[in-house]
Amino acid sequence: MGARTDVALAVAGLHKKFTKRHKPPVVAVDHISVEVAYGKIVGLLGPNGAGKTTTIKCILGLMEPDGGEISVCGYDARRQRAAAMSRVAAVLEGARNIYWRLSVWENLEYFAGLNGIGGRDGALYFQQLLQRFGLEDKKDTTVLELSQGNKQKVAVACALAKRTPLVFLDEPTLGLDVETSYQLRQAIKDMVRDEGRTIVISSHDMAVVQDVCERVVIMANGRIIADDQVQNLLALFRTREYLVKLARDLTREGQEIIQEQFPQAVITSDGHDPSVRVQLINGQDIYRLIDVMRQANADIASITQEEPDLEKAFVELVRKERANGNG
Amino acid sequence: MKRRSWSSSGRSVPTAMVRWRSFAVNFKKAWLLMKRYPFNLLSSLLTMYLIFLGIFLGVKYLGGTSLSAVDTLEGIIVGYSLWTLSIFAFSDLSWELTNEAQMGTLEQMYLTPAGFAWAQAGYLIGDLLFFSVFEVAMIVLMMLTTHRYLHFDLVSIVPVLIFTLAPAYGIGFAVGGLALVYKRIQAFFQVVQFVLMGLLVVPVNRMPWARLLPMSEGNALLRQIMAGGRSLWQLPGQDLILLLATGIGYLALGLAAFGWAERVARRRGLLGQY
Ligand SMILES: Nc1ncnc2c1ncn2[C@@H]1O[C@H](COP(=O)(O)OP(=O)(O)OP(=O)(O)O)[C@@H](O)[C@H]1O
Ligand SMILES: [Mg+2]
Repeated sequence: MGARTDVALAVAGLHKKFTKRHKPPVVAVDHISVEVAYGKIVGLLGPNGAGKTTTIKCILGLMEPDGGEISVCGYDARRQRAAAMSRVAAVLEGARNIYWRLSVWENLEYFAGLNGIGGRDGALYFQQLLQRFGLEDKKDTTVLELSQGNKQKVAVACALAKRTPLVFLDEPTLGLDVETSYQLRQAIKDMVRDEGRTIVISSHDMAVVQDVCERVVIMANGRIIADDQVQNLLALFRTREYLVKLARDLTREGQEIIQEQFPQAVITSDGHDPSVRVQLINGQDIYRLIDVMRQANADIASITQEEPDLEKAFVELVRKERANGNG
Repeated sequence: MKRRSWSSSGRSVPTAMVRWRSFAVNFKKAWLLMKRYPFNLLSSLLTMYLIFLGIFLGVKYLGGTSLSAVDTLEGIIVGYSLWTLSIFAFSDLSWELTNEAQMGTLEQMYLTPAGFAWAQAGYLIGDLLFFSVFEVAMIVLMMLTTHRYLHFDLVSIVPVLIFTLAPAYGIGFAVGGLALVYKRIQAFFQVVQFVLMGLLVVPVNRMPWARLLPMSEGNALLRQIMAGGRSLWQLPGQDLILLLATGIGYLALGLAAFGWAERVARRRGLLGQY
């Protein structure tokens, strides 16, 4: 009932269904609950259509949810809208939501002004933001004339210019080159470190998420299928996947023995780099693996734990969710 | 410690300041966007003037046409100016809503803690003021062309004009709201411009009920002020009451329609998607 005051964002039981005539309804967000503590960067991941944008827009009141509780910095997002909105800013889907016909500075003044930020204090802060984003020399350039990357930086800067404790960034690095993406990430990390901001960032770019986020929330089909520290998610997969490199090809018999014991093992034995890739269910399995290898008369060159990245973890989780959904 | 308190309380900006700045930056936006593309404005003003010239020459050389029979040249100047102003009011609003929805900036306007109304009001009032300057220049040009001179009693004109234009904004809100929900109905915007013209040439004298239509009463009163030289105080009280009632009434209807559209748009997630 009471709004949570100790977290930047608390969502409980949020759900949203889209109904269109002549079409089956789409459950975009299916009763999700999530909390984000102050001063954290949280990644919001999920395949296309998972419900990320819908979730963000419901929190911002740009879409009317069918139900659920949302509190922003302790204020009920619907019943205390003004108080909640003065504490949150958002960049929605890329670089679209700024004025291309206005200059960078004019955009900053405009969007900050919507939240009552301006004057001399504001100007000082905008200047600082331009520096962080490497846009000082673009201050008076019309946004239209900027590169895609700079447009996106301006959009993010406009959201940050509102000086709100909570900021949503929906795919801020979409279509950016490596260098620009890096700069943007660095700027975001700095904002969190120096100003204690709380940032929720949705992205399809796992490298970005792995780089800036401590914690990720993964959505699929409108549900949260994983919500954990990036480290834990990686660890989850690190303990399981092993790559056994072989010095020479396995015999047919050897292959059969392995396949029998580890049905999901992927055996590569086409002459070059013969290997066996296995997912182990628990820690004890490694002994069994060695035993089976000996039985199969395998000539082991090395055993390595596959270094999982977030992308692999993500794909794996989503695949499982799909399988469950269908089964 | 310091960091935590900053985050949990946010920067507290007084509500009055948030409203004022939301209003002010939108007022400024109207100016910036208008001045950034002066040729758009100039070319539409030129078109407006040429259309007027056509009407004027038609009346002058064809003489005794039906138009001149029902209206004086002064009346035509007032009616024509009001038409251009009402088209501006209407299309400014409906196009702006459509464009901002398309650009994604409408969603940002909805995020202001001051509320969308403050932001939108800043833009509309700013834009109307800036456009009015050009409108006055236009009227001067028309007067010079026709050698007929109007009375510029601003104290009488401004209040009557506000309530005369209110229905145009009402229609703008209603049509803009429809565009949010149904999208791609810009062709319909053009139709509305002609409806507005129709409303301004309805002969109120011969059809008293027509005074209930949007803008008709104000149109008649503005003619009395600008062409007839009467002041606000000399106008019949019941006419003024009718002006107020239709002005507020149609604006309220338009806002109600917009409110409905806004709720539908929020439910279907259409505020920012085009
Ligand atoms: N305005 C809308 N009207 C109808 N359906 C919608 C609307 N917006 C989203 N949806 C549907 O809701 C589901 C969730 O969409 P959403 O945009 O939230 O996903 P997402 O996770 O942001 O995807 P992406 O990664 O592609 O941005 C999808 O099936 C989508 O088609
Ligand atoms: Mg999305």
